[in-house]
Amino acid sequence: MFPVALFAVFAVSPPLSAANPNKVVRHVFPAAETGFDPAGAQDLYSGTIEQAIFETLLTYDYIARPAKIVPLAAESLPEVTDNGKTYTFKIRKGVFFTADPAFKGQKRELVAEDYIYTLKRLIDPKLRSPWAWLVEDKIVGLDELAEAAKKGAKFDYDKKIPGLEAVDRHTLRIRLKQTDYNLPFVLAHEPTSAVAREVIEKYADEGGRAMSNPVGTGPYVLKDWVRSSKIVLEANPGYRGFVWDFKPGSDPEDKRLIAEMKGKKMPQVGRIEISIIEEDQARLLAFEKGELDIMNMEAPLAPMVLDGATLKPSFAKRGVKLSRFVDPEITYHFWNMQDPIVGGMSKEKIALRRAMAMAFNVDDEIRIVRNGQAVEAQYPIPPGVVGHDPKYRTNIKFDPAAANALLDRFGYKKSASGFRTLPDGKPLVVTYFSRPETLGRQQDELWAKAFDLIGIKMEVQKIKFPEMIKLEKECKLMMRTASWIADYPDADNFMQLLYSKNIHQNNNACATIPEYDKLYEQSIRLPATSPERDKLYHEMAKIIETYAPWRLDISRYRNMITQPHVLGYKKHPILHSEWQYIDVRQGNGGSGGDVGTGEGH
Amino acid sequence: MYAYIIRRLWQMIPTMLGVIVLVFVLFNWVGGDPAYVLAGKISSAEQIANIRKQLGVDQAWYVQLWIFIQQVVTADFGASWSTNEAVSHIMATRLGPSLTVLVPLLIISTLVSIGLALAVAYVRASLTDRLVMISCTVGLSISILVYIIVFQYVFAYKLGWFPVQGWGDNFRENLFIYATLPIFIGLVVSIAPDLRLFRTFVLDEINQDYVRTGRAKGLSENRIMWLHVLRNASIPIITHVTSQLPGLLIGAFLIERFFSIPGIGREVILAVERSDFPVIKAITVYVAVATMIFNLLADLMYKAVDPRVQLK
Repeated sequence: MFPVALFAVFAVSPPLSAANPNKVVRHVFPAAETGFDPAGAQDLYSGTIEQAIFETLLTYDYIARPAKIVPLAAESLPEVTDNGKTYTFKIRKGVFFTADPAFKGQKRELVAEDYIYTLKRLIDPKLRSPWAWLVEDKIVGLDELAEAAKKGAKFDYDKKIPGLEAVDRHTLRIRLKQTDYNLPFVLAHEPTSAVAREVIEKYADEGGRAMSNPVGTGPYVLKDWVRSSKIVLEANPGYRGFVWDFKPGSDPEDKRLIAEMKGKKMPQVGRIEISIIEEDQARLLAFEKGELDIMNMEAPLAPMVLDGATLKPSFAKRGVKLSRFVDPEITYHFWNMQDPIVGGMSKEKIALRRAMAMAFNVDDEIRIVRNGQAVEAQYPIPPGVVGHDPKYRTNIKFDPAAANALLDRFGYKKSASGFRTLPDGKPLVVTYFSRPETLGRQQDELWAKAFDLIGIKMEVQKIKFPEMIKLEKECKLMMRTASWIADYPDADNFMQLLYSKNIHQNNNACATIPEYDKLYEQSIRLPATSPERDKLYHEMAKIIETYAPWRLDISRYRNMITQPHVLGYKKHPILHSEWQYIDVRQGNGGSGGDVGTGEGH
Repeated sequence: MYAYIIRRLWQMIPTMLGVIVLVFVLFNWVGGDPAYVLAGKISSAEQIANIRKQLGVDQAWYVQLWIFIQQVVTADFGASWSTNEAVSHIMATRLGPSLTVLVPLLIISTLVSIGLALAVAYVRASLTDRLVMISCTVGLSISILVYIIVFQYVFAYKLGWFPVQGWGDNFRENLFIYATLPIFIGLVVSIAPDLRLFRTFVLDEINQDYVRTGRAKGLSENRIMWLHVLRNASIPIITHVTSQLPGLLIGAFLIERFFSIPGIGREVILAVERSDFPVIKAITVYVAVATMIFNLLADLMYKAVDPRVQLK
């Protein structure tokens, strides 16, 4: 499936890093990180740092859209045999972890056993890794190892299992229980980044996590860390580097990137300073004042910088650049299919959910709540994800008249109070759960408007996020708005959300739709690029619309702005950190220009 | 005196028990189950049960309460549930930035408010007094959020006198560069209510017979105001100031968030957002202990400034 050595993006360059310590990029996170153990941290911001410090076997081409898998620590893409059940990776030779006392003064090369250790860690019960699902029930012999540990034994990292084999020092073979064409995506995800066992054993806390001592083979090392405030990375002097040689796609911006970057030895930037600034105003003012080089314009800030899809003239005039795309995510409203009021597969229950879906005005949400920084989600697979169909149009439209007619037809009559009752005459009250914050309140109001249009009484229940997730997993939550952002850019990551075996996990609608399940089970045995799989997804999307466990809502735009002196920046839809692919122009202000002359290109 | 101190220290035990029970009940009632967040996006009931077991939240409530009591007694609150950082390390590293802002703020605010209170009380009912009081009332009516947003925009962004946000590596840099604007905002916010309050205390004294007697004896106005009036007005001032001291341990939530100061206030918000019970309970207990100790100190200071006060 994946031919060997297709991509030569990461051509090996001389061992000395090309990074210039005087080239500084100042980035901002709007929320605090938690720590830098790939198996332990689950937040986006910790993951961003991990991607700069550690290396996965595979990664994504920086420029290609939709996202395309390329080798990183692997020499090439894996050899796939046994009908997609065996993957063999050749790991680059001469890749070393950054120096650390855990290595007792020895240079420590990255080898196949490091990835075996890394993958085993994900399922070690002691770690309670939030990423266990990446390997659970997939690799031959791995679950049995975890089961033994759950019974009280120590997790045996030394035990050989058939699913993870170091064929030789630099060859890793992974055997799966069943055909899975998504494994390369899993192995491009930062929780599977290689860690050295000596480092983990030296620094791990009681829970087995080494959150504060990241030691990897990647382009950057952690230089300074003031928790929840400031993170400083410096270029890894021993990093092998690569030559910027990405091929342009259809995006006109790609030509500018090529002109700015082609042929440069990477990484160029010697120091990354990340500030954690939670408040919108502080972030924007810091960017405008030149204290930051790169920042994400979340929807509340967008009107201050953007006129719709483009920068305001005042920003464009200053040379500020915008990297904009639709995030690989969906926001959707779901109803609990096990709920006695809104759940079930009887015709009147389906009619009720479809009527509620038709009463919700997505345009209002985009305009009022999202400040225009979103598009209506037409398909359960968002743009940028393999399997997305840009031509697909949902048949669930905002149509209050049709919604009312549907309710009338199925016996939801209006009582003297003006609200509808259930067909058996009992009161009909829908409880919408939301978080006690601005976005939650805005969504309450939109749904209140929707329910008013169809005469259904609505109650709002405000609960904190952990409690909401708990109720959701227990199938005790009637209705709420949820989001799902791609862990990897394949349709399966989205379509599994309604698979009945994922109830109590991430099937938050608690839906059991046999037709859907049957099609899903067929889809996971097909390669990502197969037209047969796309056909199945079309049918599954129609099933979602017919039974309405969800009302698809929106996908948000990601708007990254950069200062004029930042070169080669293009936000990747899946990769979190792009620092190793960019440069800063020196000599005309900004962080790149204020400090020294550095080396020329 | 020593008997009084020992008795007060003993009285802290039931108070502390009350705090422990209150925090425990509140967190378990409204705090949410952290296991569901820590488990990640895709998690099974078994994984959640495993996390609950490791955190100890699957145990009976009285077992959890007993563990909490042991933690308070040993001052060892374990590690943060979300970052695994030792709570003691969190407290030790976040307290410094909070104090860098709040200690100078409290000292300057108190001294300036006392000085101004004496001055306006001296010219009470004059145009100056009225103008100052009107200004204080207006100042009091504006939310600190408005001060932060406006001052950050004007003084940091527009005029460029201060950095918009940030925190450095050494005390001097932090105090004189990064903390200056937050302290200034804190002063603007705190001086108005303090000045009004202290002026009332001073006015209560300024009409007393001993002031008239002092003037009749020919004492200078400075001596009357700064020595005699201030000394007698100092008991309620001490009460007010010491009641603010535990607040130093909590930090200034909004100021720390807007100016990206890595202090305790910011940590408290993070801990609440993450349902990070070990951090929340440690901070709550420390603040409760500090409140009781500062109250005791205040009582001892009453005795020092006014020998007529009897400690019983």
